[in-house]
Amino acid sequence: MIPFAQYVHGLAGDDDLVSLDGPFDVPVDVLAGEALRASGPALRFDRPDGIDLASGVFSGADLMQRRDARPWSRLSLGLGLDPEATLVALLETISDLGPVGGHPEPTYTGQSASGTDADVQDLGFPQGEHDTWPVMTLGIASVSTADGTHWAPIHGSVVSGDKLRVRVPDALPSLVSEGATITIALGVPPAAITTAYLLTVTERVDTPIQSCGVAGTVPLVPTNGGLVPSTTEVVVEATIADRQPDFRSDRREAWEYVVESGALSLSVERVLATDEPVVPVSPVGRPLADDLQLTGLTTAAALYHRVNNYWGISPVEWLLVPAEAELGICVVASDILYAGFEWQLANILFSFSSLFDTVVVVDEDVPPHDFGRVLADIWLKAHPARDWTFSDPDAPAATRPRYRRDGETGSRLYVNAAWDPRWEDTYIAPRVTFENSFPSVVRDTAQALWAEYDAN
Amino acid sequence: MSVDSFRDYLDSLEETGWTRTVEQPVSWDLEASAVTMLANLRDGPIPVFESIAGLETETTLVGDPYRGPRARPWEHFARALGFSDGLSGRTYYDRVIDRLHTPTEPRVVDQRDAPCKTTIRTGDDVDLLSFPWPYIHEGDGGRYSNLHTIVAPDPDTEWGRWSSHRMMLHDDSQASLLLLAGEQVPNRYYYDYEPRDEPMPIAVVVGAEPTVECTADMWIPTGRSEAAFAGGLKDAPVDLVECETSDLYVPATAELVLEGHVRPGDRLDEGPFGDYFGYMNGPRRSMPVFEVDAITHRQEPRLPFCVEGTGVGYGQNSSSTLRVAAAGPDATVGLRAAGFDVELAVPWRFTSRTVWVISTERPYPGYLHELANFIFTTWGMLHIDFFVFVDPDVDPLDPRAVLSAIALDADPDADFHQFGVERMPKVPLNIYQTPDEKGSADVGTSKAKTAKAYIDATTDGDPVESTAAAETRKRAQERLVEAGLDPAQFDRLDEREGESR
Repeated sequence: MIPFAQYVHGLAGDDDLVSLDGPFDVPVDVLAGEALRASGPALRFDRPDGIDLASGVFSGADLMQRRDARPWSRLSLGLGLDPEATLVALLETISDLGPVGGHPEPTYTGQSASGTDADVQDLGFPQGEHDTWPVMTLGIASVSTADGTHWAPIHGSVVSGDKLRVRVPDALPSLVSEGATITIALGVPPAAITTAYLLTVTERVDTPIQSCGVAGTVPLVPTNGGLVPSTTEVVVEATIADRQPDFRSDRREAWEYVVESGALSLSVERVLATDEPVVPVSPVGRPLADDLQLTGLTTAAALYHRVNNYWGISPVEWLLVPAEAELGICVVASDILYAGFEWQLANILFSFSSLFDTVVVVDEDVPPHDFGRVLADIWLKAHPARDWTFSDPDAPAATRPRYRRDGETGSRLYVNAAWDPRWEDTYIAPRVTFENSFPSVVRDTAQALWAEYDAN
Repeated sequence: MSVDSFRDYLDSLEETGWTRTVEQPVSWDLEASAVTMLANLRDGPIPVFESIAGLETETTLVGDPYRGPRARPWEHFARALGFSDGLSGRTYYDRVIDRLHTPTEPRVVDQRDAPCKTTIRTGDDVDLLSFPWPYIHEGDGGRYSNLHTIVAPDPDTEWGRWSSHRMMLHDDSQASLLLLAGEQVPNRYYYDYEPRDEPMPIAVVVGAEPTVECTADMWIPTGRSEAAFAGGLKDAPVDLVECETSDLYVPATAELVLEGHVRPGDRLDEGPFGDYFGYMNGPRRSMPVFEVDAITHRQEPRLPFCVEGTGVGYGQNSSSTLRVAAAGPDATVGLRAAGFDVELAVPWRFTSRTVWVISTERPYPGYLHELANFIFTTWGMLHIDFFVFVDPDVDPLDPRAVLSAIALDADPDADFHQFGVERMPKVPLNIYQTPDEKGSADVGTSKAKTAKAYIDATTDGDPVESTAAAETRKRAQERLVEAGLDPAQFDRLDEREGESR
């Protein structure tokens, strides 16, 4: 388990984080959004008059561009993996943070956030170009029930020094009554926020974290609301003042496309912060935002786990719901077990998720970090007539795309960009690659030559 | 000022550190292409092979000289055309389009003033295999020339028709040309010269100046002269010189010119070849025979080649760069000239021949269908399978924005449109048809027809969740560059005004 502040420090040590000193004449979310759009490093906003902010820490390099680093290397590091870890290793690690069927023994330690600040406005949350109030993003809401503590993502606005308006999954307030206490944890270990997202996208918010793998990974501390990670940078304890406030959020975090969400009005009771707090922010609504990446990767982890436990064997090599497509497409690499398997696979994915209307099936040997090949194979290996397959227009609309929001049914599409298993091997065109196109003696000579001249 | 020759272009690359001279002897037999593939894969400098192992030759091989930097494929061409450094793709397109609007007629020079005539070989002195044509991929049908301009006769223009068709070497004087029916020069051969049992004169121009190479990759309409468009692009006349054995005119500063004729009714094997789809295409086909009658060249000629197949996915090579840097602006001009209100037409970066992205207004219902129909039935019918239409404020040079538009705005129920199922012609180089469907038809089209489709990824006028105002984004990008981020990654730092998402 890596505390958030230590994680941010580690990114800087890996030259994957750039610090910016305030004051900022450009809204933080615009700076964060432009850095992500440019596939740049994570950013730390150093602010002497408030908490420090960090953006892009749960995101990564744009899959549309070839990079030396794995696109998901930042989250891999945050979850204790090697930055070169495979996508599958990351997906499995994410799955392991969720419900485990047992009761891992939680570790309890003292709370790092000990300084008190009565006024939540003093924390200086950022305000976007079009925001009415300062916003908080990438928080964890923690509530306590007889079953244990429940976590879910939370984001919202600072309306006054002691009043917040927030959005949470509908499943969370239904666990507690009006007037109940709730804690918002900001700047939690990557494992903790990933768990909150995972429980949400799998609609398991009612599962106490004491029954999840994260409890064995992240040391916890009790608060007025529920357990939170002991290394949390900022802890906001509050009560639920209104379960149905007349309030419409300016922003919508990406997990809200997966589950129903609602607004709450909260009265802040106490604010705790570490000595030099740093909390994550997401440029919500902008391309490749942190909340988009977390939603995409946790959804992918859940889908990967489900499809590989469906047929008795595990044919799926990897699966992505890429933030680059803003979660509107699912890409799956699989062994095509038999003719028509790609149809089954696509439709299982449609059954397991309502996010997307389009599934792209690629061959198992396509590596997930070579997304450029996926973006080529869609058009090269899929016959324009035979391999773009549309369902009858009787399916409910997917939640992420912008079209068909009128409640009407429509079609789903899967693109079969994998070789047809009925084809003989001689039908299958070999790829032009360095390994395929040259014998080993030529490869050795070329590599030696290139190493010599490229170095000059 | 634009460069005047291929070697001037190489010099300009060298000035910016984009070439690397390989002095050690390298074999034409796979080694040169293997090194070039590494350079392409790693976005490294362009290799110049000064010494060819086992061959007494003054010829230099150059691997994929037109490949642009991966993040900005147009950059080398921008420099070759005399534009300022650091242009965004959109500004590069604007500038090229401006130049294409002012064609400039070529200038004919005397043989003595034509560098490509420094050495002239005819008759028994013709020896095609004295040059180090590369064997590019293991499994190719033979050694290839695949980065050249073919000059063929054209009854409608004074200077002939320029195009590009790969050529497989057979012996000292013969090669097979991949002439696929449906394209202008092949059509002229199959349906005009060959029925009359008449040889068709052709010149293969290797190492032409960049604007010539660009223009050969463009869809210049019949009746219009590629030479004049090359002059417009160059902003100065292109020098032409008459051939030794025919009345064709060829670019005078070219490195090497093969003069000859295509023999009527005669065929030689061609292929297989690792093609621009990134896959090894078969089967071997029978293709028309090019008989070389004369070879003229500069002193110490530079002979460029392209490692096809490396220009898909993330990779760039000469042919994929030429698509983005030359064919894209030209197609934009062509569509506007045909009356379509097109913002930009750009090949999809990851497979630049089969899919194009067009950002366009949609002034009336049915407009996109009309636009797609126009393209598929004119210049796009053989190679292109798909068009993706996006709103004018979506930058088609930004593949992430295009993918988002497809994912969020293309309704599977209403926005995917096929032009009849499997009614359209197709080159046999694709990989989604079985070998039986591809066939080995005499004129080189597929045995089976294929489908064409377009995707309407426009927003139907619905408001899109906006990001920030353009000026705010620009200020943010400036701030990030001050902090040390790479300015090349930021679109708003370019001088073009615009409101792309």
